[in-house]
Amino acid sequence: MWRTFWTNAWLAPRTSLGLMRIDFVVGTIFVIPLTQMVFFAYVVELGGGGASEVAFTALGNAIATVTYSSVFSVCLTTDNEKHGGTMEHLLVSPASRFALYVGRGFIPILISIASAAVGIAYAVAFFGVVLPPAQIPELAVSVVLTAFAMVGFGLLLGAVALYLRTALILGNIFLFLGLLLSGVNFPLAALPVPLQWAGDALPLTWGLSAVRAAVAADPIGTVALFWGATALAGAACYGLSLGLWKTFERRALATGSIARY
Amino acid sequence: MAAPTAQVSWARATAASLRLSFLEFMADPQWLIPSMIAPVIFGLVSFELFRDEGRYFLTYAILGAAMMSMWGQTLYGSGWATGLDREYGTLEPTIQSPTPYLFVILGRIVWNVASGLIGGAIVYVVILVAAGGPPALPDPIGFVALFVFVMLTLAAVGVLLSAAFVYTRYAGVIQNVGEFAFYVGTGCMFPVVLLPFWTNPVALVFPATWALDALRYLAIPGYVGFGWGFWVDLAGAVVTTVVYLAIAGTVYRYVEHHVLEQGNLGWW
Repeated sequence: MWRTFWTNAWLAPRTSLGLMRIDFVVGTIFVIPLTQMVFFAYVVELGGGGASEVAFTALGNAIATVTYSSVFSVCLTTDNEKHGGTMEHLLVSPASRFALYVGRGFIPILISIASAAVGIAYAVAFFGVVLPPAQIPELAVSVVLTAFAMVGFGLLLGAVALYLRTALILGNIFLFLGLLLSGVNFPLAALPVPLQWAGDALPLTWGLSAVRAAVAADPIGTVALFWGATALAGAACYGLSLGLWKTFERRALATGSIARY
Repeated sequence: MAAPTAQVSWARATAASLRLSFLEFMADPQWLIPSMIAPVIFGLVSFELFRDEGRYFLTYAILGAAMMSMWGQTLYGSGWATGLDREYGTLEPTIQSPTPYLFVILGRIVWNVASGLIGGAIVYVVILVAAGGPPALPDPIGFVALFVFVMLTLAAVGVLLSAAFVYTRYAGVIQNVGEFAFYVGTGCMFPVVLLPFWTNPVALVFPATWALDALRYLAIPGYVGFGWGFWVDLAGAVVTTVVYLAIAGTVYRYVEHHVLEQGNLGWW
């Protein structure tokens, strides 16, 4: 099982994830966080927001950019396997599904952590976010947990996409949905209650809450609650994704949709 | 019967490319969704951020989001089709054919702008529903006319961008990574004058920057964009669009010749 895990962790970024081109990695880690933060910072400024609102938005977008590698890239592995004609071969193999799928999330977790870290650095350097050095360990735990949870979410979407023709639509929806529902650009309380509940179902919401609590030097008990919620959301995503992979694998094989692209 | 002239052949290639793009869309319209989702989300986020700023800020949100949809469709359409050609192995025969590749691209660009307009209309409806009413427009007819011209400026940029995408195997990476840079640099959601002054000359290279600024002068009373005002914006948009279209032929001839010399069109 561990051989399968590490083989997938090592090979998937070069193949079905398409992550390991240097231009992609540099763009995802260094360019996308900055351009996204600049975009929303100026939108906030145009809307009459002050320095605190700009900092709020910048920190939110710094964390939200993990969705590119954790959600979008991971959920597209299904598409890439189907497109390459290797999905059928993969699914008839006796390899552990846990090792197979979770192993693919290993490098995206690292890239997500890196892009969030660079985003936070930009937020501190250019957008007025104040980060007390004493809060860095708590912030680091929050970022790592968020990355884990978001990759789990990406695997969940990839599992759903096994039965669909393409994961691209799902990936695009959830790539940006967090910007609206996870408290990235404005507090969740500004949304209607049903949308707040929808936002609470996303791991990004809890991960971002943990990050904001860490940066604001909230009591450790508060931060730990958000850690727990993020870990729970992530565990639920991983568990659901494994269950869904099994279910949709059977359905896709039975209906022949496994080969549709 | 006399052989068709080159112009007839080019027009036929453009029409065929446009027809094929339309048919591909009709066969699988879901592909509009990826280029529409981001603008809808950004429009709703901007609407929420602008909520208490006055009635004309709804125009900012709608205009910005609709422009992003059209920009996105142009950007992705320019590169995606060429990338697919490369993947399917049809890029080489297409470029080797006597009809310049520019006219094949032109048909796709026209369709991309039109489908971007569909996406923009959907964005408009979504934000309208969220806002509970239409935005205030001082000059609706002028707005529509200038909006159509903005689409032409996007098409002009799309044509030149697609020439760059002929060179690269990584059009998707450029599109994904450069998406926000284009939105920021051309002032889709906010005036370019808000950015540091050294970015303005770069932004003014794009016809859409001039055209969007002119559109906001027309649609938003009290708008403060580039200091030279509406008429210079309009003139700048026309001049830059004409330049882009004028050099497109030359650029494409060079690109086609160069890639055929390099012989790497079959790489994927």
